[in-house]
Amino acid sequence: MAEKLVGVNYAPPDLRAKITGRARYAEDFRAQGMVFMKLLLSPMPHCRVRGVDDSRARRVPGFIDIMRASEVNQPEGPTEAMLTDEPKYEGEPILAVAAESEEACAAAIEAIELDLEPLPFVLDPLQGLRPNGPNAYTEGNQFSGQDGWSTYKWTDADFAEVDAGRMPNPANPLVEWTKGDIEAGFAEATVIIEEAIVHQSVTHHPMEPRSTMAYWENGRLHAFVSTQSAQRTKMGMAGALEVDPEEITFVSEFTGGGFGSKIPGHTHMSLAPLMSRKIGRPVMHRVTRYEENYIGRARPGFQAWAKMGFRADGKCTAIDLMIVQDSGPYGAGDHNTASNIADITYTPGNMRYRGFPMYTNTPPKAAQRGPGGAQINGMLEPLIDQAARELNMDRLAIRILNAPTVEYGMGPRSQRMTSTRAKEALRLGAELFDYENKIQLSGQRNGSKVTGIGLGLSTYTAGSRGYDGLMVIRPDGKLYVYQGIGNLGTHSISDTARPAAELLGLNWDQVEIIWGDSSRGMPNSSVQAGSQTTHAHSRANYAAAQDALRKIRAIAARQLGGNANQYRVDNGRVLGPGGSMTFAQVAQRAIALGGEYDGHTLPGDLNAATVPAANMHVGTGLMGVARDNFGGEGGIYSWLAVFGLIELDVETGQFETKELVCATDVGTVVHPRSLGAQCYGGAIQGMGMAMSQRWVFDPQYGVPFANRLYTARPPSIMDAPRSMAWDAVGIPDPQTPTGAKGIGEPSVGAGSAVLTTAIADAMGGRCLCRTPLTPDLIVAELEGRPLPFGRLDQHVG
Amino acid sequence: MANMKDMIPAFDLVQPTTVEDAVDLMKDAGDEGWVLAGGLDTFDWFKDRIKRPRVVIDIGGIEEMRGFRDEAGGIEIGAMTTLTEVANHARVRSEFGVLATAAEHVATPQIRNQGTLGGNITQDTRCWYYRSGWPCYRAGGNVCYASAPLAMNREHCILGRSRCVAVNPSDTAPALIALDAKMVVQSPRRRLYDAEDYFIGPSVDITRMTVLEPGDLLTQVFVPAFWANSNFYFEKVRDRGSWDFQLVSVAAAFRMSGSTIEDARIAVNGVAPYPVRLDAVERLVRGEAASESLQNAAGELAIQGTRALRHNDYKIVMMRNLVRRAVRSVAA
Amino acid sequence: MIELFRRDQNPWGQDILIGVSWDLMWMALVLAALFMVGHAIWFRSRAGAAHAAPAAVPPGTPERVVRHTLASRIFHWSMSAAMLALVITAFVPVMGLEIPAWVTIHWIAGVALIAAIIYHIIHAIGWQDFWSMMNFGPSFFRDLFAQTKHLMSASAPEPKGGKYPLDHRLYHHAVLVFSLAAVVTGVIMMMRIDTPFFAHNPYLLTDETTGVVFAIHGIAGVMFILLIASHIYFALRPDKRWLFWSMVRGWISRDVYAEHFDPTKWKATGDSSRPGTAATGALADASVSAPKEDA
Repeated sequence: MAEKLVGVNYAPPDLRAKITGRARYAEDFRAQGMVFMKLLLSPMPHCRVRGVDDSRARRVPGFIDIMRASEVNQPEGPTEAMLTDEPKYEGEPILAVAAESEEACAAAIEAIELDLEPLPFVLDPLQGLRPNGPNAYTEGNQFSGQDGWSTYKWTDADFAEVDAGRMPNPANPLVEWTKGDIEAGFAEATVIIEEAIVHQSVTHHPMEPRSTMAYWENGRLHAFVSTQSAQRTKMGMAGALEVDPEEITFVSEFTGGGFGSKIPGHTHMSLAPLMSRKIGRPVMHRVTRYEENYIGRARPGFQAWAKMGFRADGKCTAIDLMIVQDSGPYGAGDHNTASNIADITYTPGNMRYRGFPMYTNTPPKAAQRGPGGAQINGMLEPLIDQAARELNMDRLAIRILNAPTVEYGMGPRSQRMTSTRAKEALRLGAELFDYENKIQLSGQRNGSKVTGIGLGLSTYTAGSRGYDGLMVIRPDGKLYVYQGIGNLGTHSISDTARPAAELLGLNWDQVEIIWGDSSRGMPNSSVQAGSQTTHAHSRANYAAAQDALRKIRAIAARQLGGNANQYRVDNGRVLGPGGSMTFAQVAQRAIALGGEYDGHTLPGDLNAATVPAANMHVGTGLMGVARDNFGGEGGIYSWLAVFGLIELDVETGQFETKELVCATDVGTVVHPRSLGAQCYGGAIQGMGMAMSQRWVFDPQYGVPFANRLYTARPPSIMDAPRSMAWDAVGIPDPQTPTGAKGIGEPSVGAGSAVLTTAIADAMGGRCLCRTPLTPDLIVAELEGRPLPFGRLDQHVG
Repeated sequence: MANMKDMIPAFDLVQPTTVEDAVDLMKDAGDEGWVLAGGLDTFDWFKDRIKRPRVVIDIGGIEEMRGFRDEAGGIEIGAMTTLTEVANHARVRSEFGVLATAAEHVATPQIRNQGTLGGNITQDTRCWYYRSGWPCYRAGGNVCYASAPLAMNREHCILGRSRCVAVNPSDTAPALIALDAKMVVQSPRRRLYDAEDYFIGPSVDITRMTVLEPGDLLTQVFVPAFWANSNFYFEKVRDRGSWDFQLVSVAAAFRMSGSTIEDARIAVNGVAPYPVRLDAVERLVRGEAASESLQNAAGELAIQGTRALRHNDYKIVMMRNLVRRAVRSVAA
Repeated sequence: MIELFRRDQNPWGQDILIGVSWDLMWMALVLAALFMVGHAIWFRSRAGAAHAAPAAVPPGTPERVVRHTLASRIFHWSMSAAMLALVITAFVPVMGLEIPAWVTIHWIAGVALIAAIIYHIIHAIGWQDFWSMMNFGPSFFRDLFAQTKHLMSASAPEPKGGKYPLDHRLYHHAVLVFSLAAVVTGVIMMMRIDTPFFAHNPYLLTDETTGVVFAIHGIAGVMFILLIASHIYFALRPDKRWLFWSMVRGWISRDVYAEHFDPTKWKATGDSSRPGTAATGALADASVSAPKEDA
């Protein structure tokens, strides 16, 4: 009997290399004659390059060449170019220098004299909305493909409302949607909670900066890239360089995180290939931590106003939400997602959303783990507690009451979900946390320490459909699973093969995972983002395994007699009425048969990008290859309920998180340990966001200070809760054959919410309504001193 | 000149094995020399290409500057002793616990394994305007960016400002002041400084944090036995649980006679460009029992003369509360 | 290679002026020393030079000729004290000697200097012969010619002037120019530090303009090294010591008057309340008339 694989812990195949240091990341690769490249970053938040004097740089020993903005594609509108002569943020790359060594690169860059014309800049989106406030672009602050640039401002009257601490009512919101009847919703409400809330921008700061090594050989590009995705990043690079994707050997076996900042790779990954093409030498572009701070993306900050109405029984009847988003110079969509997630999490039925995405001269924004959702859950959950307090209601009960079921449709188009087990997650978490007893500790004071109980519920996308699976059973009897998804440490390269292997009755040691090198075949894949891969590729691989199983049975029936359907697989053998064959024998037979069995003939509905990958393995064994045609309707979302207990020292403003419990709805659990790690990791990341992580700019010069790990203050292991536990609801998603959904994203919002609510709880229900909740803010509030920052201040700390 | 960071410029590395050689090498190098201890302050400066010494004098190989020497009147700790060693040393833990606790609060285990006591005491300020290489007063320029009307100065000083508003970042410094430690400086003349006199404010010299001038080397820290086995208190408030400098910290030593404070030494850090010894508070508490009213009076006295910048008013109450708590720690 | 200015990069990487190079301070000290030594040697070499005969003093010339009223002396000495404090607190720390709280002493001394200057201006315009000091007419150039001739030739005696001989006037004007430069720039600089007078704001001027302000202040400071050194040198020289004493006591003797001044250009007066003696008190000072007290 083959071992059960789904729902069982195991050691992923990349583990040994990582812990022994043999894993090779982009900057570990070398090539004969390799030289280095470094970027010259803009010192100003917005300027025009009037001139570049590189005469001294060219005399630096080891200098090879310079690449300027004119040599790379310059897209129209607010779209990022690899290099620019009008930088829109401090740290934007102006030019690149190649030299024999990094030291020579650095010396050459320092020898370059820039003639820059400073231009007006805006850091705080609200400042940009002021009637005479600065714009991030000389052309304006709004762009549409049809109408080009325009300028959008609020009025003095709007700002009078803002300054008075009220939600303004600006004309012509940039984004607006409504559902239901918001007036009726508020009319129905017994309690209305209204707050202005700030969520700071925070950088991604993945452990590995986005380095690239590249060289060209006989017209073929060899690229070694730090990216979240693999096959999709290769396509992105091919597009950026305007080359045939099949002329790229793309390598990304290990990536030290991305958190959404390297989803399809990143803009600057194509610079090394371009420089290499220009100078005819392999080029290593090793990105430093400092550079990562600038080109490495950040989560957009929000300055928001939320008004929520609750019926006497606690049911949320209306939400009026307004978000001003710091979109950076090149835009971001977080605020839209945030509005949808506010709706689905609290199911008001009646909602109005108004969004104001504003370009700023701060480093570019991009999706960061739970983009939009992570912000809004942390921001709104304390308001739910305020309502519970005013209604004298239990905090868990109000959440269970408002949590959605599968019947609730999200957002203006009322998008339905494939499965929604939010209430179950809350109940499971409460049980695991021992909520009934723990909530009794809320507000208890021991010396200077007050206990706070935190609750957070969050959701995020957790899957997608329609990708391809590719696998081959070779004559050695093993199953080789070819993965086009990336490997940023989430185990999905192997987790997604486990249901397939189980379907084929294999033990795990009979399975080899091949990933991270396009020369070994990468089928069409989802991006490694949006918590898609567990869902998308357990399905795709499952489809390919079904294809393989069909072929195995057919071969067995052909070889041994009987009906193919009577054959079953177990432990690397196919068994049936006519006897049994090993998979090794099946593979040999498949090669002999050719046709569809060994990949000579491929299914006609495969995504185009899979065909070359499959062709690499034609004739090597029995090929399982198929498109995910399982179908399905509705969005795929996972849920996470988080409970926490903190002790807040009211004399210092410091707190300690004593306990954390995560309960999740991810459908079927594929890999428990990996799931637990995602719950904890995401929750701690979210806690860091609520507690300490920050991005600070000097308003005079527009440059950021929190540009190192120690100044940006992501959470450290010392901030992790002393006691942590997790569990999963474990009810399979009915619309996917494996029953599994992803988990990476929602844990962040719940982690953030658990602290924003616990701190408010320990402070007697007072919501500071901004993050990060650093000791200065807390102690100033508790002591009745002036708060260190204004209610709506952004980029401070 | 265009901006370039995260790339250490080349330098000559010399690795003396005796204090004498180190001092000679430092003298030879003059202003172009840089003393490298644990490297945790140093390499930030080097990576950012702000400090560009011609010669780096690595004192890591000087055995006489490492470890502990029991002496009749106390314990002598080599400046190159790592913070982990200080935190784990049996006698330091048992007799001078405030120092061990302070050392334990520095940054992270990795940094404590590499960072030295001398380096922790002598490190430069972490004012991010200054550390960004901006030409502020401390860097020889003509402006304090951190005290500008809209500047980000949440972590800056509430006391002792004089054009510069930076703070001293050391965790062990206030503990050593509380222990009345002596700093041994060689140049090649051997000098001894009381711990609190080792640190200087910007009104004395805006470009330095300590008495050390080019050519001076902190070789040992002597902790006298007088305060051994006192009642100690150390607390550090920071934004996150590790790898963080203090917002405010306090270190205190109390000699008790029953419930009466016979003598006390109290220092705070993170509030001024130098660790501040609270003499007035010490005088207040001497001969008194640590009643609640004394705790409160001590806190209030501690913050007299403080003045907040735009974003750091909280430090005043934080400092007050920490001093209160220090006194409270010896309450009956 | 002596640097004249200190430059640095502002936070945007732009090259900006920070102030004068401290090399100039050392250069000023060296120049001051060279001047004193040079002058001493030159003076000795002119030991046998021609001297103008003492002037015939008009009848009625008091035995003690009032040269500096008490009001003037108060100004002089308070300005001197402020100036010395300013120069010492400015440059001694640069030399590496610590002066705790030098910035505070420096700006307080600066405020004292400003007060003294305001006092002096009002006093000079209202009570002193302001215009004779500021006279740049033909007589100024005649004096300049005669003085130059004296410096060039041992046979040309030092011309006798009015109450303020040419060299004094030139010195005064140099002090005037550099004081005003230092004061104006100093006030602007005070906006960058903590004082009770201004809300601290380093961004009132652009980086470059700030650099110019610091450079002017620095140049003025360096010039004061030269001016003060030469002033003290002359005050202490035996042949000029009567000047020093006149600033202490307020008067010069009739003989000194006759030896160094042209009575037609400076009509001597005594203390009107005590004929034959110099004014010694504030009240006495206030009572001096005829027609301008220093005329």
